[in-house]
Amino acid sequence: MYGDRRVFTVAAFNRGIGIWLRRLPEVWVEGELTELRRNDAWGNVFFTLEDPQTGACLRATMLRRRFDALSLELEDGEKVHVQGRAEVYEQKGELGFRATTIERFGRGEHLAALERLKQRLAAEGLFAAERKRPLPRFPRAVGLLTGADAAARGDLVTAIATRFPPARVVVAETRVQGAGAAELIVSTLARLAAHPAVDVLVVARGGGSFEDLLPFSDERVVRAVASCPVPVVSAVGHEQDTPLCDLAADCRASTPTAAARLVVPDLDELLTSLERSRDRLGAGVRRLVARDRERLERTGERLRAAPRLLVERRRAAVLAAGGRLRALSPHATLERGYAIVRRNGAVLRDAALTAPGEALDVELARGSLAARVEEVRA
Amino acid sequence: MTERPGPSFEEAQRELEEVVGRLERGEVGLDEAIELWRRGEELYRRCVGLLDAAEGRIEELASGDARGG
Repeated sequence: MYGDRRVFTVAAFNRGIGIWLRRLPEVWVEGELTELRRNDAWGNVFFTLEDPQTGACLRATMLRRRFDALSLELEDGEKVHVQGRAEVYEQKGELGFRATTIERFGRGEHLAALERLKQRLAAEGLFAAERKRPLPRFPRAVGLLTGADAAARGDLVTAIATRFPPARVVVAETRVQGAGAAELIVSTLARLAAHPAVDVLVVARGGGSFEDLLPFSDERVVRAVASCPVPVVSAVGHEQDTPLCDLAADCRASTPTAAARLVVPDLDELLTSLERSRDRLGAGVRRLVARDRERLERTGERLRAAPRLLVERRRAAVLAAGGRLRALSPHATLERGYAIVRRNGAVLRDAALTAPGEALDVELARGSLAARVEEVRA
Repeated sequence: MTERPGPSFEEAQRELEEVVGRLERGEVGLDEAIELWRRGEELYRRCVGLLDAAEGRIEELASGDARGG
């Protein structure tokens, strides 16, 4: 104290101003982001907010961890809303702004940032076709991640149950828009994928505004979808919306019906195809049996024909022998005009062995004669 | 696939198709054909049985946090 003059040290003054400033409420400040400086080794990021009309500047800091968690892909010159409060850098007596959160503002900036993120992830190969996995045809259970809005959930559950009534669906609801949605989507996705019966996941979100769908383009969500241990179908927004998670997912569906078609089979078709398989099974075995039976029949026929052939052959041989036999029979000799003379049934070869008056039998080719000897010329 | 014994529906259906294909191509002998047919019928019954046994149901995943919404 110098008399009645109250004098502060610079440090005390700065500290006092700092304490006083901290009583001010948190506010949102709009400006263009410039001079963004971020380093992995630093605890804070530094940037300047500038008013494009007047050129007025405000220096700002933010915890790096918190800044990174936003994963905004910010670039210099972007329009942002920054929430925070005034602070004094006591060592230099400089006024600054301590930011707690940053939101991009302006559609163009969002689109540009999304495009940059998309390029970066594409360059990493996150959207590559060879990363896409086939979906199971008959999942034990379908995991369904939805917002609490009943429409997306109801539509999808109905579409699945209609197509495949025996389907088992495990539903996990989570916040899908607004602050913290991305982290919640990521953790819910992990819990669903860890369910022991879940073989395929559907991420469903009805249509919404551009901003509402932003969490589905959040880098963390996109990476979680790409690295999910079970295949993922993205059913987010409408046909014209292409959130980045659509690109990272294994399949994309623009309607609940399309999603259902991807994750469960059609029961009617399945039953028809099973019946058809069974019919073909029966027909196949019947044809094979028929083929073998036919072959057997042919063999049997040949078998049965064999003895007849043998007999025929023998019969022919016998007939031939008979012919030869007949050629040798005396009958043929008689035909040529010879006669056989028998006396008392014995063939008579010598005239001296008979005498006049004796009765003889004379056999001719046809018929025979009972004769009596007139004279013997011996 | 640790939940239940035997082939999954997909496996059973695929094998059924194979069995039908082999029978239709007629590359097998009669004994084998009958055996294949038996196997095919068994697979068919398994597939239909799995469909009949599966009860459509909707479960809620136990919430890891209460902030959903």
